[in-house]
Amino acid sequence: MASSQTTSVDVGGLVRPTGRLDMAQALEPYAGTLDERSAAHLLRRAGFGGAPNDIARVAAMQPADAVESLVRFPSTSGLPAPTDLFDPIAYRQQLVQQARAGQGMFAGGARLTPDKRRELGKDVRQAERQSILALQRWWLDRMLATPAPLQEKMALYFHGHFTSAAIQKGVSPEMVFDQNQLFRQYALGNLRSLTRDISKDPAMLLYLDNAGSDAAHPNENYARELMELFTLGVDHYSETDVREAARAWTGWTVDRRTGQAAFVASRHDNGSKTFLGRTGNFTGDDIVDIIFDQPQCATFFATSLLNYFVYNNPEPELVAAVAASLRKHDYEIAPVVSMLLRSNVFYSDRAYRALIKSPAEFVVGTYKSLGLAQVDGIGLRAMRAMGQILFYPPNVAGWPPGANWMTSQMLISRQNFVAALVNEPAVGETAWVAALPDDAAKASHDLVATLLQGDASKQSFVQLASYLDGTNTSALGALSTENRDERLRGAAYLTMAMPAYQLN
Amino acid sequence: MKRGNFLLGAVSGITVVASADHIFAQALAASPLPGLPAGQNRTLVLVNLQGGNDGLNCIVPHGDAQYYRLRPTIGIAQAQVLAIDGQIGFNPAMKSLKDMYDKGSVAIVQGVGYPQPDHSHFRSTEIWQTAAPDKYLHTGWLGRYLDDAGLPKANLFNGVAVSQVLPEVMISETVDVPAIPSERGYGLVSDRNGASRSTYGQVVRDTNLPFASPYLSHVMEIEDHAQRGSEELPKLTAGYKTQATYPATPLGRSLALAAQIVGSNIGTKVIYIQHGSFDTHVSQQATQNRLLGEFSDAMKAFYDDLGAHGNDGSVLTLTFSEFGRRLEENANRGTDHGEASPLFLIGGGVKGGTYGTYPQLGSANMGNLPFTTDFRSVYATVLERWLGRPSTKILAGTYPTLPVLT
Repeated sequence: MASSQTTSVDVGGLVRPTGRLDMAQALEPYAGTLDERSAAHLLRRAGFGGAPNDIARVAAMQPADAVESLVRFPSTSGLPAPTDLFDPIAYRQQLVQQARAGQGMFAGGARLTPDKRRELGKDVRQAERQSILALQRWWLDRMLATPAPLQEKMALYFHGHFTSAAIQKGVSPEMVFDQNQLFRQYALGNLRSLTRDISKDPAMLLYLDNAGSDAAHPNENYARELMELFTLGVDHYSETDVREAARAWTGWTVDRRTGQAAFVASRHDNGSKTFLGRTGNFTGDDIVDIIFDQPQCATFFATSLLNYFVYNNPEPELVAAVAASLRKHDYEIAPVVSMLLRSNVFYSDRAYRALIKSPAEFVVGTYKSLGLAQVDGIGLRAMRAMGQILFYPPNVAGWPPGANWMTSQMLISRQNFVAALVNEPAVGETAWVAALPDDAAKASHDLVATLLQGDASKQSFVQLASYLDGTNTSALGALSTENRDERLRGAAYLTMAMPAYQLN
Repeated sequence: MKRGNFLLGAVSGITVVASADHIFAQALAASPLPGLPAGQNRTLVLVNLQGGNDGLNCIVPHGDAQYYRLRPTIGIAQAQVLAIDGQIGFNPAMKSLKDMYDKGSVAIVQGVGYPQPDHSHFRSTEIWQTAAPDKYLHTGWLGRYLDDAGLPKANLFNGVAVSQVLPEVMISETVDVPAIPSERGYGLVSDRNGASRSTYGQVVRDTNLPFASPYLSHVMEIEDHAQRGSEELPKLTAGYKTQATYPATPLGRSLALAAQIVGSNIGTKVIYIQHGSFDTHVSQQATQNRLLGEFSDAMKAFYDDLGAHGNDGSVLTLTFSEFGRRLEENANRGTDHGEASPLFLIGGGVKGGTYGTYPQLGSANMGNLPFTTDFRSVYATVLERWLGRPSTKILAGTYPTLPVLT
């Protein structure tokens, strides 16, 4: 839905800030210093927000150093991996071994009767669903606790960009996890190399049907989405290009015995193809290379990265400058994202709170702000109600951003999630909550400073202080510990209900 | 209607009463719908039979030997079928709907589908909801109707989804459709004694903020909708008395709420409801017959209730399902994802009977029945002849309408 107070063009729920862009200075490094507002802004955009001490730490840094610490992130290989993901291939081997030992469902070499097939199917589906739930919680926890938030932020970006969905079409939980790791591995790597590798990723091969494509019957689904949604956008290729790209990608399939990607030469179309004006016996990798030779590919990713990190529906001249940088750096992400996060436009009023928080940003950011160490069922269920179920994007186009995140039902889900979370016992033990002063005016100031970096009006400070002091009841300072705690939790909820908290 | 004290109450009673009157005035001013004769205040109820309803065991081709040959264990025995004629008839669980059919208030459109069908639940559901088989749209066909209809912006209930999450079909560029799982399930929680309520109402309407954002006005509009909507709905619908006994099923409860919304005259033009799951890969008969029976009985209660309030002529129900199922049963006494299937139009304005062509079972391709009516023809019919809006822009194409409405 378009905002009525803006004059900008509304592109499917994406609204550009008002005012004029100073293009000459936009991408130059920001020469100012950081404060709590700009530090929190950087942490929200390059990650999932910050706990108060994170914000204070970054606010004391030079902008270039702060960005450098996010981009050159420490190794995360020591972080815990998800445990006990259901592996249908291992499960099958286990059943076979049990049968050989005269045990289990197939003891005595019993055949796969309809009843057994049913039982088996039910077990498998249930195990897969449980695995995906565990994987969702694992990822949210990782977003919350990682020392490399930008890595997770990019993994989330790629999950919405190069989408595949769990469970359908034979995509197993292991494959979902492997794809997620691929996104992490390439978080600030090379876009061309990632595009080559995601094309051969088992979950992607199954989700977009390339696994079933062969020379005799090329399936065009992957070839089309590769160009339409992943690299070029509509109107930048022809139907012939789709057919020819599909031929080039034949041969890549998934070995059902191992669950691994495999190139089967006999399935590959070895003939000559004509693609985007070039002719040759192209492979899938060649197709990706030709796509990345198109200036439109850089324009496409520049638009997408600006929408994700800076503001929505960016001006064509800003897109062009970022696209030029992508080409100059041969599609390496790190220098381009680093440039964006250091730029004048990033720290300008145009970009400040210019995006709507996605549910992942909202949920993880709230756990962070409240000092909670782990995402629990409240957060997991809230993600669903807010419309972002990790590993189940709504379709191959990913989650629609911007105003699409904000309907009355989704907003109610956000507010009720916060209301539930402020009542977690651990919130009371958080250092900054425990340190809130007894003076209502000071406490309201601290709450708004910590949770919103002061982004509330004078009237709201007064409202909050008056709530803390209890109209016609005891003032905050006169309350027992228990009642004081309850009122502070209520005030934290009210602070996070304010409009600024929905914005990133 | 009781509201639990966990819900945020009114900002102030005066504010709510005033805005409720305002909504009433707006809703009345907006009726009749543009393009319709005076006095016709119409609502569409869209029921999603989700999971893929098997059309062959729903409207059974009991006159076709091939049906019984390919469905030796799950075919509905000829003697049980509630026959419409010598060829087709209702599933025996659908007695209530068959009675309504006999009275002329049910239309069956046979063989509905779309070209190059997708067999994925997710994608095919999206296709039915966006009415776009060949591209990805983020708005639904009823969302685009709401964009087009010029309904009063002050009314928060121009469209209502009776569901946990807003379905794609109701996603609009300009109209915020509330998703209301139940009357009690739509609301903001408060602190224990409700002390935060009035403060909430103030801080979410904060205007002098020390920053600008292109989304600020949108966020504040939605904050306002969420709070006012959840407070006003029970007040606006409080005077309604249900006049039928609904089955004690989720669908029964959803339809009871729909009848209440209609009967409260709050200007609601489109309501979404879901029922299922019809994904009957295994032991189909027990599951599907139960679901069809629930649907059929709930529809009877719904129209009895509407009728008792004089609203039966102004509410049209349309069903859809993401696909039908294969002609041949599988090894688990179930059926797999197929293609074309029938859908129902029930109630107001319906010219009862069967429409379109039952797909030739002999023409099935790999067990998939080819469609004989494009689903967008059904949508065009509802848009043009019930909701009174031109369909070409909403459906991005011109589709022939069916003579199924009076």
